[in-house]
Amino acid sequence: MKLTSKLIVATAALALTSTLAFAGSGPYNGTKDALDGGMTYPRANGVETAYSYNTQAMKKLNYGRVPTANELKAWDMDMMPDGTGYPEGSGSVEEGDELYEAQCASCHGEFGAGGKGYPTLAGGSVESLKNQRTCPGKDAPTRTFGSYWPQVSTLMWYIRDAMPYAHPKSFTNDELYAMTAYLLAANEITIDGEELDDEYVLNKEKLMKVKMPNRDGFYPNIDGPDGVENVRKFFANPKNYGAVGTRCMKDCGKEKIMRIGMEITNVVPPYSTVRDLPVEKETGSKSAAEKMYDASCVVCHKTDAMGAPAVGDHDAWATVMEQGIDKVNHNSINGLGGMPPKGGAMDLTDEQVKDIVKFMVESSK
Amino acid sequence: MSNISENNLESTSSRRDFFKKTAAYSVSAIAAAAVLAPAKLLADDENIIHHTKWGTTLGDELNKNPYGLPSKYEHNIVRRTSSLMSSAGDMHAAVSMTPLHELSGIITPNGLHFTRTHNGVAHVDPNKFRLMIHGLVEKPIVLTLDQLKQYPSESRTLFLECPANGAAEWKGPQFNSLQFVKGMMSNAEWTGVRLSVILDDLGLKPTAKWMLAEGSDGSEMSRTIPVEKVLDDAMIVWAQNGEALRPEQGYPVRLMLPGWEANLCIKYLKRLEFGKEPWYCKEETSKYTVLTKSGKAIQHFYPLEVNSIITSPCPEKPWKNLKKGQMIEIEGIAWSGHGTITNVDISLDGGDNYVEAQLKGLVLPKSWTRFSYMHKYDGKPMLIQSRSIDDSGNVQPSVSQEKDIIGVEGVYHRNSIVTWEIRKDGSVHNVQVRTDNCPA
Ligand code: HEC
Ligand code: HEC
Repeated sequence: MKLTSKLIVATAALALTSTLAFAGSGPYNGTKDALDGGMTYPRANGVETAYSYNTQAMKKLNYGRVPTANELKAWDMDMMPDGTGYPEGSGSVEEGDELYEAQCASCHGEFGAGGKGYPTLAGGSVESLKNQRTCPGKDAPTRTFGSYWPQVSTLMWYIRDAMPYAHPKSFTNDELYAMTAYLLAANEITIDGEELDDEYVLNKEKLMKVKMPNRDGFYPNIDGPDGVENVRKFFANPKNYGAVGTRCMKDCGKEKIMRIGMEITNVVPPYSTVRDLPVEKETGSKSAAEKMYDASCVVCHKTDAMGAPAVGDHDAWATVMEQGIDKVNHNSINGLGGMPPKGGAMDLTDEQVKDIVKFMVESSK
Repeated sequence: MSNISENNLESTSSRRDFFKKTAAYSVSAIAAAAVLAPAKLLADDENIIHHTKWGTTLGDELNKNPYGLPSKYEHNIVRRTSSLMSSAGDMHAAVSMTPLHELSGIITPNGLHFTRTHNGVAHVDPNKFRLMIHGLVEKPIVLTLDQLKQYPSESRTLFLECPANGAAEWKGPQFNSLQFVKGMMSNAEWTGVRLSVILDDLGLKPTAKWMLAEGSDGSEMSRTIPVEKVLDDAMIVWAQNGEALRPEQGYPVRLMLPGWEANLCIKYLKRLEFGKEPWYCKEETSKYTVLTKSGKAIQHFYPLEVNSIITSPCPEKPWKNLKKGQMIEIEGIAWSGHGTITNVDISLDGGDNYVEAQLKGLVLPKSWTRFSYMHKYDGKPMLIQSRSIDDSGNVQPSVSQEKDIIGVEGVYHRNSIVTWEIRKDGSVHNVQVRTDNCPA
């Protein structure tokens, strides 16, 4: 209750003292004093806007329990720009290069250059961020880790938690530093003026010194004790974020009409508003192998975009099978190039992987 | 009429005989009807004349589908996606759109709620679910799902919108479909506990300025949220339209920040940490920042601004078979993350002149609000638009007004007015009314 009442007092004080606060014209007695430039509504006498709520005391509920130190250690793993959460460890650009080639290039392209439909991880420039495709033929701004991201902590944190895509959270701390070093090098980012060549070894201390080229490319400034107040000031002026509509009713002016040039029509399922009976699909439920394939392999094997033999591609699988099924099974279990061991699904038994491979081969005949 | 009910299991042909016979005896009745309409000239509607299949057979057993399903005839009313709205056609990092053209009222059925995933739809075991709340609180806690649900609940009807809704159209119209122009949003009744109730219990330290919310899925989705919003109206929710959240919406538990970017409303919630400084998550730097024409980008752009869209007519629901002079409803949805919708204006001439539409149904803050305008159809081509206003005083901008401030590379937070062109044949097309100064 302490907090809520404090908040209400604060809100009331603001409403009294600030001439900015604006009592809205809507049905719910709101005040225009929210952080985001919008309305807050009084929560009093059991009613807030159109909703009633229970007004009995909600103090001292005491649900749950205090987490143990080990539980906190296991989950409180975020990394922040000031170095909070950076692990101990080290890794070189060269080691990162190998990891990248083996585990990332299939989606993100050689040297992070993209081109495969997945996000591009390197290249571009801060200057390009001024590009506007206002007219046909103009260049796009390039928003990559190197040209756009304000902080390096974001990259290491994200890679650790979310990549590689099909089996995230699989890197050691040393590998993480190597991966990060490689992506810094690929983006030609220097540390203390030093270029990151193949032998460069990254660690916690060095990582804390990285200043990203577009560090100052964002507003409002959210850092430090004034961060939240800067956000409030930003939203107080609608011009800052394009909330500039005007309520003209007559002779507001005519503008040109732009029609669709090339309509995008490849949508799934295809457009239809017809109300008829669906065409009965071929019956027969999926085999266990197909289900496991859907769960663990389809992400890379649906197409050849990532260099994996696409299921259904007769020629590609004929070539694979020239090695003989034993070798193919071996590669699937132990990994090969961009193919992680067991496709990253380490909970599969060897027999299950073999069943899936059989399904993939059969489906590609 | 008793004749019919006695013979209602007879074949349809004998029923027709019956009508023939009756007709002979009721000439005067037919003559009376002819005054109202030239009934003789109208062909009989076979659907009325004949018994139906469903009227002459037994239906399904009542609990054939213990969890009910829509009519089979509704099979085209589904979420749709496009490989262009994914990474490389990979449907684990993609978005699907709600069929707004087929929705009625303000509630989106759970199976039609738009979905954005960054690492596939996770399937969290509710028995293994844990929520940890820690950092700058007097008493950190972990909760099981049952413990979380012990907190007194509240329900709110709120929209959820991806700030990339309409992102494909900064530079011009691309899709001829309401579903793809505005379908990255839905509206539902969400039930859970207000975070302020939990924090009252734990005690928040005065130095806490920001909250990190983190998900438990493969993308470990995370965002930084100002504590002020958390204490104002943030909720932790476990129910959507009366049942458990769908996996696509974050089962078993997600964060709900009324009126703010859906991406901030972390799904598969696992951890809330309170701190002094913002975290700089991937989705508040690399993505969900609005690059403006200055070359600098707006970060921490939370609210979805005042917005509206005409849902009928629309490209999927054209004005077919209308007669000149007949009345027809123009209907749509308005919403604002800044507050409550107060007015919606309609233009029939591409934004030169506007008339005021009427709001209908429940008018709730940070929720879809339906609007309605009765129009006399005259068969001429039209450019129809809706423009909404909220109680914070914000007015939905035109394409040019928004573009002149932001530029065309912002990707997110596009809320400018949408124009439907209605052609002579009644077909409806997505166009934009805008001024560009390109060299010829
Ligand atoms: C199977 C394909 C795949 C593989 C392999 C993969 N990624 Fe990704 N990566 C993705 C997808 C998809 C996204 C976008 C996810 C989203 O929508 O949030 C992504 C996003 C990223 C991003 C953020 C890009 C941005 O600009 O926001 C980084 C950094 C990244 N990956 C690094 C890596 C690294 C390092 C590896 C190797 C260890 C790797 N990825 C392997 C598919 C992949
Ligand atoms: C992260 C992407 C990825 C995933 C997930 C993945 N694969 Fe692969 N797979 C590949 C790539 C890339 C290749 C091609 C490797 C090469 O030739 O260098 C490949 C090759 C293969 C081959 C051919 C091996 C050979 O000897 O040429 C088989 C069989 C195979 N994968 C089976 C599987 C199975 C089974 C699964 C699921 C359990 C799976 N893959 C999951 C990327 C993947």
